[in-house]
Amino acid sequence: MILVPITYKGGVYRHNEIIDLIEDLGGYIVQKHMIAQEVVLQCFVPKDDVELIRAIGKPLAGEVTDSPLVGTEIAVVSMSLEIHHLPHPSCDIAEYVRRLGAKSNMIGMARGVGKRIAGINDEERDVINEHDIAVFLLGNFETCIEKKMPVLLRGIEVPVVVCGGPDKEALERIVKPRVDGYVGNVGRFMHRTKESEELEKLDEIIDEITRVLSKRREEIAKDPLSVAPARLMDIIREKVPEIQYVTSPTPLTVQMAGLRVKLPYDTYADAVRKAEIEDGITIGEIADIEPSRMRDYIIVRVKPFSETNIVV
Amino acid sequence: MQAIEYFEVECTEKAGGENYKQIANDVLLDHNMLRVVHKIHIYIDPKVPIFVAVGTLKKVTTIVKVGDIANVNPLEGKITLAISDETYLSQMLKVFWDRFGKDHVEQPDRFTVVLYNVPATAAEIEEIKIADPSQSLYKDLVYALRCICPEGFRVRSEDFGAEKFSFVASEDLLTEPVLALVKEKFALMGETP
Repeated sequence: MILVPITYKGGVYRHNEIIDLIEDLGGYIVQKHMIAQEVVLQCFVPKDDVELIRAIGKPLAGEVTDSPLVGTEIAVVSMSLEIHHLPHPSCDIAEYVRRLGAKSNMIGMARGVGKRIAGINDEERDVINEHDIAVFLLGNFETCIEKKMPVLLRGIEVPVVVCGGPDKEALERIVKPRVDGYVGNVGRFMHRTKESEELEKLDEIIDEITRVLSKRREEIAKDPLSVAPARLMDIIREKVPEIQYVTSPTPLTVQMAGLRVKLPYDTYADAVRKAEIEDGITIGEIADIEPSRMRDYIIVRVKPFSETNIVV
Repeated sequence: MQAIEYFEVECTEKAGGENYKQIANDVLLDHNMLRVVHKIHIYIDPKVPIFVAVGTLKKVTTIVKVGDIANVNPLEGKITLAISDETYLSQMLKVFWDRFGKDHVEQPDRFTVVLYNVPATAAEIEEIKIADPSQSLYKDLVYALRCICPEGFRVRSEDFGAEKFSFVASEDLLTEPVLALVKEKFALMGETP
């Protein structure tokens, strides 16, 4: 069964029927937002049943759209959290990827600014490495980007998309070591992105992120995960009921090859490790349960089939 | 709104310079600096690295009075002020409290202030001075230039007079030739520092 990421948008009235339908079909709901009279469900559903959900949702004013970024956690790396970089363009981009279903976290570096003085520390590096992809938002000058990127990319293991003021060709030439994606002509600016060409740029960033993530998905497909992270989310929700009391918007954040559990590691790591998936197989057997560098959360990294010889 | 007479951004990188012109324009507009800046020339060389902003200022003599931000309507022992611009509202209330006492000043809603039994006519109230924007000019202008300047350039030298200003920033120590550079950029605008 191939699961595809979609977003369902519809009225609150009878939306429980849609939730039941998705669950009955073997899909997973990754995020549910209730905004006034509207409900937004970001979910994974079987590819063959998308039309069925669309048909059943239609009388309820429901709309089904493809959301390639559902189930991914994206790090939007800003060179600092000063007025120079916020709220534009960092927040504009972070918000835009969120609209397409991704969970985006903004990472403001302590010393990412400048040319000679730019640097990355171990905490920033580890936090970025806990994501599926990192989007680096750089400035307008080729000279600065060329000089600082080798330093900023030190130790980064996840795919990287670089956005900067120079055009794409220039970025490809100057950013060393090479990264996975480049978007040119999006450097530092001090106004809101509302012109059509600026919105096109945001779409270009999304396209680049989607392209890089699809490549990563293909890599994962070659050696499939022992369990789908979305399924793990359901299991943890059932076996570790304390997660229901977490007030964070996404207490369980689904990633492409793992999961972030927003519970304290020291208290709950064992409970997560011992949670049974099926036939006596526990989460601890097929995934690494590690402390996250983000607060005191737990990060679950699902092992591939080649390591465990188990697929559940 | 008055435009700036001379506005140039000179940069060793063409695309970067164009982006910085847009940034400078946005920041000056957002910080309401167009009414203050007469001429401005910005020079950036990221290779050195150095950022220089030099310029001249307009004379800001406008003192904000009650009549500028509110309509004053006297009616049966009370004077009602309909506020049209909230920017100086808090300063205005402070002036009223000091002058008439809090018992005589009331603000029933966001855009209305009522004065009860005050020993002044409507015309006198209209003439009360509430703020002098030129006092915070230096702070505002330096802040705006800091926003325009690349963030990594943290070694700064600011020079600000009644009519002219210069702002130099870099990542490294600022050396003597900087003064010559400031002079050169002033000359491009037809001014002397």
